[in-house]
Amino acid sequence: MFHWLEKHPFFFAVGVFVVIAFAGLVEILPNFAQASRPVIGTAPYSTLELAGRHVYIKNSCNACHSQLVRPFKSETDRYGHYSLSGEYAYDRPFLWGSKRTGPDLWRVGNYRTTDWHENHMKNPASVVPGSVMPAYKWMFSNKADINTAFAEQLTVAQYFSVPYNQSVPMKDGTTKVVKMGGSVAEANAIALEEAKIIAADMKDQDVKDTVARGEIPEIVALIAYLNSLK
Amino acid sequence: MVNRPLEYDYTIAKMFMLTTIVLGIVGMLIGVILAFQLAFPGVNTILGEGLAEYTNFSRLRPLHTDAVIFGFTLSGVFATWYYVGQRVLKVSMAESALLMFLGKLHFWLYLVVVVAVVVSLFAGVTTSKEYAEFEWPIDIGVVVVWVLFGMSIFGLIGIRREKSLYISVWYYIATFLGIAMLYLFNNMEIPTMLGTSAAGESGIGAWYHSVSMYSGTNDALVQWWYGHNAVAFGFTVPIVAMIYYFLPKESGQAIYSYKLSLLSFWGLMFVYLWAGGHHLLYSTVPDWMQTMGSIFSVILILPSWGSAINMLLTMKGEWQQVAASPLIKFMILASTFYMFSTLEGPIQAIKSVNAIAHFTDWIVGHVHDGVLGWVGFMIMAALFHMAPRVFKREIYSKSLMVAQFWIQTLGVVLYFTSMWIAGITQGMMWRAHDEFGNLAYSFIDTVTVLHPYYVIRGVGGLLYLVGFLMFAYNIYKTMSARPVEDHELQNASPMGA
Amino acid sequence: MDIAQLQAYGYFILTASLVIVLYGYIYHLYTKKRDADGVDYENYSNMALKDDIVDTPVSAKSDKEK
Repeated sequence: MFHWLEKHPFFFAVGVFVVIAFAGLVEILPNFAQASRPVIGTAPYSTLELAGRHVYIKNSCNACHSQLVRPFKSETDRYGHYSLSGEYAYDRPFLWGSKRTGPDLWRVGNYRTTDWHENHMKNPASVVPGSVMPAYKWMFSNKADINTAFAEQLTVAQYFSVPYNQSVPMKDGTTKVVKMGGSVAEANAIALEEAKIIAADMKDQDVKDTVARGEIPEIVALIAYLNSLK
Repeated sequence: MVNRPLEYDYTIAKMFMLTTIVLGIVGMLIGVILAFQLAFPGVNTILGEGLAEYTNFSRLRPLHTDAVIFGFTLSGVFATWYYVGQRVLKVSMAESALLMFLGKLHFWLYLVVVVAVVVSLFAGVTTSKEYAEFEWPIDIGVVVVWVLFGMSIFGLIGIRREKSLYISVWYYIATFLGIAMLYLFNNMEIPTMLGTSAAGESGIGAWYHSVSMYSGTNDALVQWWYGHNAVAFGFTVPIVAMIYYFLPKESGQAIYSYKLSLLSFWGLMFVYLWAGGHHLLYSTVPDWMQTMGSIFSVILILPSWGSAINMLLTMKGEWQQVAASPLIKFMILASTFYMFSTLEGPIQAIKSVNAIAHFTDWIVGHVHDGVLGWVGFMIMAALFHMAPRVFKREIYSKSLMVAQFWIQTLGVVLYFTSMWIAGITQGMMWRAHDEFGNLAYSFIDTVTVLHPYYVIRGVGGLLYLVGFLMFAYNIYKTMSARPVEDHELQNASPMGA
Repeated sequence: MDIAQLQAYGYFILTASLVIVLYGYIYHLYTKKRDADGVDYENYSNMALKDDIVDTPVSAKSDKEK
């Protein structure tokens, strides 16, 4: 058998494939259904939050910030409750990261405000002396891509049954409905409503003016996303 | 046609040698910039505030990893395949017009994909998954390039004169299959232009955007099954293929034990894929997978060391060659670093060690002693060995090689020692509590303390880059060095002063 | 039997058989020392050492085979 494999490249390749594919089959596939069930209190991202998530990804924030609180006292002290699998049910892709050059952000919405983020993104060292994080000034002028976020909402609702426009249970016993527009125009209107709430808490006059004009700068979307991480 | 004796045809090998060097310089240069950005944040705006969006750390970081993995390393793998493949199968590319055409197509399409990747990553178009950042249109290009690579491998095997496949060919085949499987499964995504709104609109938003087919924990599992094994089949398997050919050939020594090389091949294939779970220790993936990841990572020492020891013992009785030849030095050091990082990796995969090491610079250090020490050294050695044979000229300067060797070795040592200290320091500070049970340090305390190590790391990286530029210069000058006769190319490569 | 149980059994059997095959291979290599063509495995190192296009192959592929 062994002799034969060594001299028949095709079957040799099949053999190699079986050996390497085996671990993946056993380890990965079987737990798929279980791990993607949301826990109570987990709601899908709104249009603006999703656009903010795209800004986060576009700028590879995940290269330096994790979104995974490990079950250690030092981590729960610093960041809050440790992560649960179901909390990530609507995260496509996951953003756990692999390096904490900066702190974890999975529950950053619990302890940072819109105002803090605004100052921090403009000049990190102004709120965190000694910070090595670069400034992200262009986020104040670049416009967020609401249409793509809307397209993603439609896609996940269509293919993965993500419950938009349906009530999802919250921790305090109430329910919440995350709205998704019926058309591009409606989706933009919904996002703008959310953006106005964020912009009201911000100081930058340009940002306020832009939102008043009906456009949404990247920074507003990003802050909406960061505030949603709880 | 002129009746000339049949010769190996290195046209395509030469093309990929060029991209290995160019993309190596690009990847390493970006790496050095990144290192200094962490030490001195002012470097983020090195080209002014206007271009800050494109020169800041976060935009450059995926470019660095992808340039080194898919640019430098993959080019090196392709270059050596188009060289080694012909020789150990005893068949020339010139014998098949079809294979020659496929090889050229392989190169040019590869180049197109590289350009597309550079443009898209600068623009911030990324899926965020590490080493799989490309959006779906580029993924399709990658698959085509990969299929062409496979056709070249199996095509050449199909017309071979040597009945058995040399161990290096085994490893090249495994590289092809492994990456193919991993890449396909990790990049399963749905383009968002397929979404249709209630009002009937479709094709909304950016056409190139897609959403992962897996969510949350599942996505993490697939990603690190990929991420870990992309390292396996990109940074380990093909590099082992290289050393199994180039070290015996350059030294003129038969492999210490060919049988050992065969069984460590199967051992590596079987064990490697399981170890991916060690990237997810203490995360929300099921406990048994984490434990499995830990255990298999430790077992992985055996097949890895099987190959590494086999290489070192190949030099048995011929150790004076290590002193005499800088080329052998590169390969022996590569093999030593291979042993070293395949021991370090399993240590980091032990749960209690991982609790401290994960998310810190120690992991960055581990990757770099593997890539700089093992992958980089081996690929440069391979190219040094190939240069006199593809150009029919002696290597331009031996003393330049020696200088390069020591500069780069110093660079690697500075790199990983500083990152060890940085990682362990930070890991310990994160978990430190005072006598009342409160956290002893705020997060920023654990960042500012790293400044000196970040500077040392930057210097280490810079030294390595300088060495790489010396390498590039040496290869460039080789193209116009003294021509050599065939008999000089039997084993030890001819080198000028 | 539910899926998890099937998985566990399948898993164990496959792992065990792969381990047996691997050890069988080691046993085979070190007892036989030669492959089906009677070539000592260690001679295959020569595929790298004598790899000029004019060198004789260690075990040549004859024309009648595929």
